[in-house]
Amino acid sequence: MPEDVSTPVLQLLGVSKQFGGKVALDHVDLDVESGEIHVICGENGAGKTTLMNIVAGIVRPDEGEIRIAGRAVRLADPTDAARVGVGMVHQHFKLIASMTVAENLYLNRQPRKFGFVSDRAAMRAGAEALIRHYRFELDPDAPVSRLSVGQRQRVEILKALGFDARLLILDEPTAVLTPPEVDELLRIMGQLKAAERAILFITHKLNEAKAVADRITVLRHGRRISTRPARALSEAAIALDMVGREMRPPHRTAGPAANARPVLTVSGLTMTTANGRRLVDDVGFSIAAGEILGVAGVDGNGQTELSEATAGLAAVQSGSIVLNGRDVTAAGVRERRRAGLSFIPEDRLDRGLSVSMSVAENLCAGLYRRKELVGPGGLVRARAREAFVSATLRRFDVRGGSPSLPVGRLSGGNMQKIVIAREMEQDPAVLIVAQPTRGLDVGATEFVHGRILAAADNGCAVLLISSELSEIFALSDRIAVMFRGRILSIVARGEATEKSIGLMMSGERAAA
Amino acid sequence: MTRARVFARLASALGPVWAFLAVLCAGFLLILAISSDPLLAYRDLLLSNFASASNFALFLNRLMPLLLIGLGVIFSFRAGVFNIGGEGQLYLGAIAAASVALALPNLPHALALALPIAASVLAGAVYGWIPGALKVGLEVNEVVSTLMLNFVALLLTEYLVTNPLRDPVAYGAVSYVVPHSSWLAEIPGLPGSTVGSIVAIAIAPIAWVSLFRTAWGANLRAAGSNMRFAETVGVHGKRLVLQAMAISGGLAGLAGGFYVLGIGHRFEQNFSPSFGLVGLTVALLARLHPIGLVATAAIYALILNGAAYMQIDTDVPRSLVALLTGILVLIMTMRPRRGPAEA
Repeated sequence: MPEDVSTPVLQLLGVSKQFGGKVALDHVDLDVESGEIHVICGENGAGKTTLMNIVAGIVRPDEGEIRIAGRAVRLADPTDAARVGVGMVHQHFKLIASMTVAENLYLNRQPRKFGFVSDRAAMRAGAEALIRHYRFELDPDAPVSRLSVGQRQRVEILKALGFDARLLILDEPTAVLTPPEVDELLRIMGQLKAAERAILFITHKLNEAKAVADRITVLRHGRRISTRPARALSEAAIALDMVGREMRPPHRTAGPAANARPVLTVSGLTMTTANGRRLVDDVGFSIAAGEILGVAGVDGNGQTELSEATAGLAAVQSGSIVLNGRDVTAAGVRERRRAGLSFIPEDRLDRGLSVSMSVAENLCAGLYRRKELVGPGGLVRARAREAFVSATLRRFDVRGGSPSLPVGRLSGGNMQKIVIAREMEQDPAVLIVAQPTRGLDVGATEFVHGRILAAADNGCAVLLISSELSEIFALSDRIAVMFRGRILSIVARGEATEKSIGLMMSGERAAA
Repeated sequence: MTRARVFARLASALGPVWAFLAVLCAGFLLILAISSDPLLAYRDLLLSNFASASNFALFLNRLMPLLLIGLGVIFSFRAGVFNIGGEGQLYLGAIAAASVALALPNLPHALALALPIAASVLAGAVYGWIPGALKVGLEVNEVVSTLMLNFVALLLTEYLVTNPLRDPVAYGAVSYVVPHSSWLAEIPGLPGSTVGSIVAIAIAPIAWVSLFRTAWGANLRAAGSNMRFAETVGVHGKRLVLQAMAISGGLAGLAGGFYVLGIGHRFEQNFSPSFGLVGLTVALLARLHPIGLVATAAIYALILNGAAYMQIDTDVPRSLVALLTGILVLIMTMRPRRGPAEA
């Protein structure tokens, strides 16, 4: 469909939206050309998702105009948006796990025989053609429940593209992906761009934005701050627009003390699945007081198991975990926490929080053995708890949260701050942190990094597990690389380069 | 607490009241359509419970099992276990109280009361603990196991009451009358009532405090809302689930014990008009809140009893009540959506 080059696929003029008196979007203009990848950056709560929901017909704007290929449209619902060629891939997938890839692709638009029987052969053939057309590696007959996260996302993309979407919206698509899956997604985006599709790509990972974008628009507090070509733009300039101030990467005030005693010593740790496969294979390390050991590695190489075993949440096959000179291998979670261990799990919604419970209850969970919070008969001292909670919320800069609000209503960054506040409140001797900034924007990331460094400065031994190399390098004193359950080597940060660590992450052992 | 929050609390507490009034209006229209004397029917339905001391006693008798079973449901649901075995736990508590009272007829009054009551609580607690242990240990779905255990309890008590415990001179499948020393006292001035109802009402605020104002309750609700989270912060979630199930079953068992010792004075087969199911309903209507439960259980007891008087006096069948309670459940579980979905 040859389109006039001067007519953008999508044009937004002065779009505004309020939610209950709170301004989410304030007269935002935006245009996207066909064959363009347009990145929307902004902190959590800047209005990115609201803007995308307006384009996808999920939310109606209070003011402003939406033009698709030059024609003003009113989008009543997502079906309307699909009709004019807008497809959206949500952050949280909307697939039916028990159905096959083909069935998901044809949901609500199945080809039919005799007017009512679904024509499975036609559906399968259509799905196969679609998959081949975009050269995705997918089996149309595989149930979605058996696909990896990256594969599921490809199904979502195909579903959104349908057969004729001109504009594809990707809402923070990389948040759930492993690095190789991210690379694959970026490759696919390049391919779609070559096919003259327009892509709106929401992310707060600046390196990804830089890697694929033609233009970058930054939103802050519902306002459009800038729209600029990506080529000449530095990551620092984008971050400045997003946050509205210079970023100051946090620094250690005190380095790890020379020859400090080891606080956490893990040796010969081995964990296996029920059928004998080794998840964690003879892992050993020790961390001194005030030291941060970073464990780098592609997700799924045993880091989750290692963190849970150290925290006492998973049983080990063999090996030992020594905390402050005491063997805690057989001890339960509660005992280890009393011995000074804190754990910030990788998925805050899974292990870190109970979303239906209040902010106060999530903050105080596990802290009820404290005398100042609990009085005689196990009764909670309401006033003391209130005071403790509001002081903690202030100290950890949790925004938008009253103590009685269900924690699930907070943004991801503020939820993570609740988890961090709770775990840091115990003044831990050992802190296990897994993927501490996953899904967080630059401002929140800066804050979390500062907290981890401050804990180390206070003499806490930190085990940091992250699949973000930049994070590992920003925080660690020593860096370990995990691959297929083994720790390949542990090197001082000064002796490591992103390249050497990256190679080891893919399994190449450094020549030693 | 700020003034706005007080109003918010009041508004959410008033919601069920409006729902109840709406149901009464709908019901009145229905009665208007079928009855020649709608006013009398409605007066019977609502006010007969207060017409005499003995009517009020019957109302309290009906309230007691609904309250205790409902409280049990609240403990188990708050711990994340969908215990729908209240009926079975009730029956086991009742038969345990009757058996102990009949087996030990010559005890001093205090013991003659205490032992059967303890037996009823213990029987219910064990019967609640079993599906809890199956869930925690073997991941057996508790909805299935509690439902199935209801049948086991019903058939077991049926066997016991038709064979060893059966009173051969009485009509129907009932046990011997328990000795007088085991009878629960009446509430003074209310003939036919039992102090068990007072105890049940008194347990409601205790349940509220223990669930919402103690560390134990906070941990229990943490385990119930996200077990993996509870484990991570060092809460012994599984232990708490077992405790909650034992309490849940124990409360239902206590209802059975109170019924035998305070109301029926013997075990009767089919003594429960689905108390277990209605107890579950009123607990859910109260949104698993112990104080709200007192109100919802009272409303149910009121119209269930009122319907009997209405049927005697007028041409309105008591099955109208099934209709009314159905509408009530419908209205109270509705969540009207205002405005567009939030982004």
